Amino acid sequence: MTDAAFSALASLASPSLLVMLVIGVLAGLVIGLIPGLGGTGAVAILLPVTFGMEPEQALALLIGALAVVHTSDTVAAVLLGAPGSASASVTMLDGYSMARQGQAKRALSLAFLSSMAGGLIGAVGLTVAIPLARPLVLSFGSPELFMLTILGVSLAAVLSRGNVLKGLTAGFLGLLLGLVGTSPTTAEERFSFGSLFLSDGMSLVAVALGIFGLAEIASRVGQRRVEEKPVELSGGWGSGIREWLTHWTQVVRGSLIGIWAGVLPGVGATAGTWLAYGQAVATAKDKRKFGKGDPRGIVGPESANNSVEAGDLIPTFLFGIPGGVPSAMLLGMLLTYGIQPGPAIVTDHLDLMYVIIWSFAIASVAGAFLCFLATGQLARLTKVPFAVLGPGLLVVMLLGAFQEGGQLGDLWIMVALGVVGFFLKATGVPRAPLLIGFVLAIPMERYYYLTTNLYDGYGWLTRPGVLVFAAVLVVPVLWAVAKRLRRRSGEADDGHRDEHEADEVADDTGDELEGSLAGTGWSLGVAALSVLVFGGALWASRSFSDEAQLMPQLVAVGGLLAAGFLLLQEVRHRSARLSADDGPLAADVAGPAPGGGGTLVAERTGTAVVAATRHHDLLVAARTFAAMAGFLVLVAAVGYVSATLVFVPAFLLLVAWVRPRTAVVYTVVLGAVLLALPSLLPVDLPMGFLQ
Amino acid sequence: MTVVVAYADTPPGHAAVRAAAEVDGPAGETVVLVSAVRGEAPPSTAEAEARWPALAGRVEVEQGDLADPSDRVVQVAQRRDARLVVLGLRARTPVGKLVFGSTAQRILLDATCPVLAVKPEPEPA
Repeated sequence: MTDAAFSALASLASPSLLVMLVIGVLAGLVIGLIPGLGGTGAVAILLPVTFGMEPEQALALLIGALAVVHTSDTVAAVLLGAPGSASASVTMLDGYSMARQGQAKRALSLAFLSSMAGGLIGAVGLTVAIPLARPLVLSFGSPELFMLTILGVSLAAVLSRGNVLKGLTAGFLGLLLGLVGTSPTTAEERFSFGSLFLSDGMSLVAVALGIFGLAEIASRVGQRRVEEKPVELSGGWGSGIREWLTHWTQVVRGSLIGIWAGVLPGVGATAGTWLAYGQAVATAKDKRKFGKGDPRGIVGPESANNSVEAGDLIPTFLFGIPGGVPSAMLLGMLLTYGIQPGPAIVTDHLDLMYVIIWSFAIASVAGAFLCFLATGQLARLTKVPFAVLGPGLLVVMLLGAFQEGGQLGDLWIMVALGVVGFFLKATGVPRAPLLIGFVLAIPMERYYYLTTNLYDGYGWLTRPGVLVFAAVLVVPVLWAVAKRLRRRSGEADDGHRDEHEADEVADDTGDELEGSLAGTGWSLGVAALSVLVFGGALWASRSFSDEAQLMPQLVAVGGLLAAGFLLLQEVRHRSARLSADDGPLAADVAGPAPGGGGTLVAERTGTAVVAATRHHDLLVAARTFAAMAGFLVLVAAVGYVSATLVFVPAFLLLVAWVRPRTAVVYTVVLGAVLLALPSLLPVDLPMGFLQ
Repeated sequence: MTVVVAYADTPPGHAAVRAAAEVDGPAGETVVLVSAVRGEAPPSTAEAEARWPALAGRVEVEQGDLADPSDRVVQVAQRRDARLVVLGLRARTPVGKLVFGSTAQRILLDATCPVLAVKPEPEPA
């Protein structure tokens, strides 16, 4: 095993891998600075670039980026008080206060070093996990793997923050999306509606970039610009570095929490960092300075958010169950290379595992080092309004989605899913279960048929592994029930040390949209639409043969149940709210907001203002999606480059209101890059029918 | 000097406020209400004064920077250099305690000043 580790290190010394790693780190640092992208954005944007590369190079690039995204996302949080990604909003609490006291360098050096250590400890965790899990993984047969896929989706659905029903609905929607295309057992087409490109199934990049990437663009283009001036980069690096050494226990604790949060599906970097913060507060004797610039409030969470990404990789590679959204995309990528995570990776591709681990460790160190060197310059990037970045990102993302299948239809699907993603986000439905469900749908079906073919009857259900997983499946259900009971029985004594849930309500400044439509007619509409989709799927699946029918029907029935209950819940809340609004004590009666946090804030700040922002958000999003659709029409007509040359300046001038000179330079540079790209990377540009 | 009350809109929480109002201390001692329920705001100062006239003029309400209720109460107590923390206890079965933990217990353990724990008056039968 050590041999494999060192030969992997030697292979990383080869120029081709090293170059990819460096590119990955640089890209990751830049993406980390851009608000709202985070690890998901990094992998999604870079994934299409890796098509056509060797798996080692592709992994070096992606892991390099993933490892450092959470190092640079701190910069904006500390200097601007506007986090680069949702998970950095934790660092903002103490980091921004510290920066305002003229100690920005102290806060940043604490954060960078902790991020580095978090990454390194995460890499160690990944290394330790291989020999520990290896015998376990090798003992798994298809029944266990089948149970694992179920476990992956359901844990993601239950553990994602917010309402369990919303998580389950999202998980079932993902499974349903994953089933589109040719059935693996009978080679018949499902839900493809006779279209050719849907028979291959939906492209992973299109789904991931649509649900997360485009939805993010649409929700942030209209965001209020950062008015505040960035805090000056003052103070000394040295004092922070020395201080960091005294907090090493916090670093280790934070990293371990991060790894654990990563291993659990659906508990991502955001939840992991809040857990680490809660832990840091809980174990501190002197709690006075938390929230006002306590170094421990920076060190723990920053270590955690880097090690989360490493922890995510453990179940992804060893069991084939993605621990989070970025790793779900990595899993999809490995599958396209024909590398089956799980037993196969520990036997046949151990070298790849070690390439990943070394890349993660090296990138963590290099990323922190670069951050120290370049923060002064990088900080300026954080001030660029998102509306300016939007069109460039859109062009890159759509081009990326085009690479997988070379079909314009994928891009339309992507924009449509962008709309879906926007509404899921706005109504507080977690999107991670959706993507995890999407990735796991086909493996789930395949393992199920392998199992039923290999075992007579239901004998496989009594295998010990299956029983253990079944038990693990039941626990979250009990947990959810217990949570409800707690909510019912007056909760003066809710004992869980978890900074996460409620803080999201008060402090989630990184994301104004998240859950802002929860409890409104829109979320009722989302629930109703989900019911219709599952109902339609159930109806459409009647025409499939018996073998191909089973999974879609199970998913549709499960989805109908989850979405139906969700609809019921929404209707009930709505009527309760309407009657409460009539009463004189409206605010008191309405009580704590259900599900999403947005409504709680809403009741405090006055409904009128909120309704106005909501209206504004929706309008901007509608306009942005219309612009995207317009862009696709242009692409279909005149080809990608020409369409970009028209779309980007139009968007910049009409939506982002930049100066004409900026728009021209921006467009020329982007156009030149697009023209040069096919000769540098294996990239195809969509052609228009007029070309 | 100040007295910090772990406030909840429940009988034990109200008992805690009453106890804080009656506790022997320097005249005009400030009483600070901190919510001990996750995601719930304490009443406004005016509301508190209307409900407990004994506290008029010397009650304050603080939000705190933390979301975890017990940490929040302890943090505010430390920041205000409180003389005393008052909290209300409610009955809880051992299983309930095991599953949900206890904010009260953690305040008792973590606080760096004396803590007065009170129980609500038994309901008239």
